[in-house]
Amino acid sequence: MNGPLGARILVIDDEPQIRKLLKVTLQAHQFELHECGDGEEGVIQASIVHPDLIILDLGLPGMSGMEVLRRIREWSQVPIIVLTAKDQEGDKIAALDGGADDYVTKPFGMGELVARIRVALRHVAKTTDEPILRFGSLTVDLAQRQVELEGTLVKLTPTEYEMLKVLASNAGKIITQRQLLQQVWGGHHHESDSHYLRVYVGHLRKKLNEDPTNPRYIQTEPGIGYRFLLSAE
Amino acid sequence: MSERIKKETLPSHGKRVPAYVWVTLGVTLLTLLLHAIGMSGDLVNVALIYLFPVLVSAVYWGMGPAVYAASFSVIMFDFFFVPPYLSFTVEDLRYLISFVVYLAVAILTASLAGRLRQQLEMVKAREATTNSLYALSRQMTAITDLNTLLVNIATQVSLTLGKPAAVYLPDGQVDLLVTSSPASTSEGEKDGWGDGESEIAIAKWVYHHGQIAGKGSSTLRESPGLYVPLRTEEQIHGVLAVSMDAGEVHEQQEQLRLLEACGGLAAGAIARVKLAEEARLAQITAESERIRTALLDSVSHELRTPLTAIIGSATGLLENDALFTPEDRRELTGNIRDGALRMNRLVTNLLGMVRLESGMLQLNRKWCDVGDIISVVLTQVRGFSPHRNIQVELPDDPAFIYGDEVLLEQVLVNIISNAIKYSPDESRIVITVTSDKSLSQLMIWVADQGIGIPEAERTRIFDKFYRSESTQHVTGTGLGLAICKGIVEVHGGTIVAEPNPGGGTRMRINIPMEAHGLRFPYSEQGEVEE
Repeated sequence: MNGPLGARILVIDDEPQIRKLLKVTLQAHQFELHECGDGEEGVIQASIVHPDLIILDLGLPGMSGMEVLRRIREWSQVPIIVLTAKDQEGDKIAALDGGADDYVTKPFGMGELVARIRVALRHVAKTTDEPILRFGSLTVDLAQRQVELEGTLVKLTPTEYEMLKVLASNAGKIITQRQLLQQVWGGHHHESDSHYLRVYVGHLRKKLNEDPTNPRYIQTEPGIGYRFLLSAE
Repeated sequence: MSERIKKETLPSHGKRVPAYVWVTLGVTLLTLLLHAIGMSGDLVNVALIYLFPVLVSAVYWGMGPAVYAASFSVIMFDFFFVPPYLSFTVEDLRYLISFVVYLAVAILTASLAGRLRQQLEMVKAREATTNSLYALSRQMTAITDLNTLLVNIATQVSLTLGKPAAVYLPDGQVDLLVTSSPASTSEGEKDGWGDGESEIAIAKWVYHHGQIAGKGSSTLRESPGLYVPLRTEEQIHGVLAVSMDAGEVHEQQEQLRLLEACGGLAAGAIARVKLAEEARLAQITAESERIRTALLDSVSHELRTPLTAIIGSATGLLENDALFTPEDRRELTGNIRDGALRMNRLVTNLLGMVRLESGMLQLNRKWCDVGDIISVVLTQVRGFSPHRNIQVELPDDPAFIYGDEVLLEQVLVNIISNAIKYSPDESRIVITVTSDKSLSQLMIWVADQGIGIPEAERTRIFDKFYRSESTQHVTGTGLGLAICKGIVEVHGGTIVAEPNPGGGTRMRINIPMEAHGLRFPYSEQGEVEE
């Protein structure tokens, strides 16, 4: 799993120690690093440097990370990975719903961060009009609306299929409950409907012969949403 | 005593006119009856019979109607039965003596009967007062919350006297606060009595001087309310005030006495609640003192150990880089990582405890799939459990509970990490989930084949900072299980440690599947498969 060499990453974090850590390790992974210590400058840098990916700390002094995210999303679709402290559940969801592509909690392991960076970069590179998605023995044919597991056709209800489609075409990326509700049920849903998601995910897992305690495809991100696992690839 | 009598006779004021009418009617009818049955010759018996209305009016209506009955009876007796008949003139002057004696006897009897009646009424009134005081005191003793207590005092006093009442309590140093002032039910327009500036001003005066003031007392008698300080032996706790009507002075005197009694009771109750509160605070202070000591001990050890490892390994790497082989370097950096992870666990637990203790823990309740939670937990613990055989047994139907999945996940991470920590390599850990639909309870068992927990310690292990003697060699702060217990209990569940039938420990978590009567809001949608 090699990421695109030389991809340009902008780190917006006020902690010099974290910046230094990211700089040393990410440069060792052949990324080109740019860094800045506050949100205001981060927005400017993002437009000057044209990074391939941004790592954004949510807990910035002055202009908050959320505001930086909003400003950048006004004109750019560059992948943004958010850094947060673990207990800010609501912030993570707000960031993901607000356009962030992924989040990494502090303290984080370097290996995990690099993997997330690779997924995010590849996700951009991938052509979205690919009609057939393959994950190991699972094939999702978007053109035929057919799902095959180990060569046999899996019968899914329309809702289950829509959920699988949304999750699989965003493979590797975290999808919040709200995003999933919006994309599957459209506008007419309610936040409290999230229990439907659980039931349908349960059905979907069963039909994909998945052990819920050791998921192959759909991983639950507690309190936040779901992630279609790339490791099944 | 005479005031009490007056007070009790006062309500019959309005009934007095009908009393006189009844007496007139009664005596007239009696006269007609006696006349009709031709008793006119038997003067002695007639005179005796005429004593009846006198006695009856004395018993039922008191002195006035009795004297009136006596006088009226004499007139009727004279007019109809004493010769010459149908005239007030008296033939024999000796009859006049009879009249006087009759009147004297009647009045004496009437006054005796009247006094008896008054005594009865007085006893009744006393009983009523005693009853209301008893009810008040009984209510006071049952209440432990100051606010409820104050509302109760005001309501009870207001009910007893039939007038709006208010209780004033000092707020900090300067101000008095009206804590409650329910109006009496009959007087809606007096709602919120006691909020006015002048009323608060008088209450302040009473509070600072410790004297009764207001209507019926010697101070500020022009005020419409009556203010009684709530005093126990050592201090004045507040002021009880009642809005008084423009009644008579004696009535106010009587109510003043009742109010003083209520005030005494209320003061005692307030003092009791305050003392209980102080005792509770003292206990909390002592407890937090103990926890602080334990925390310092634990933190200094638990935090310094990994820090020592981190600093030692890092400085070693920095200063003697050339000396180390690649393996050494890997070992040292691994050391740094492990130390940091351990510190992270400690900090997470400490933060969790603080949140739990300070009441900041807000449940973000949603319907969550227990299987989902367990899968998340397993991905977390697998990292540090390479040599455990973890088995999961889930019910066929997905089990949903209404809870905070992130917190429940933390509970299971702690429990399963413990099971791993206290059991040998290659041993088996079984997680079983069963649901009892009839009790609406979900049970999660985590069974290990580890060292087990002595019976004496099975409840204590859930105490903060408690570490079993037998496990001193295993690192830990004694916080994990305390947090688990806190979280499970916030969910309305229980957590207990039991011996595992196959050896080791089995943790059992019981959690209600429904909360606030909510059922899992899902029914099969009947969607057709494509």
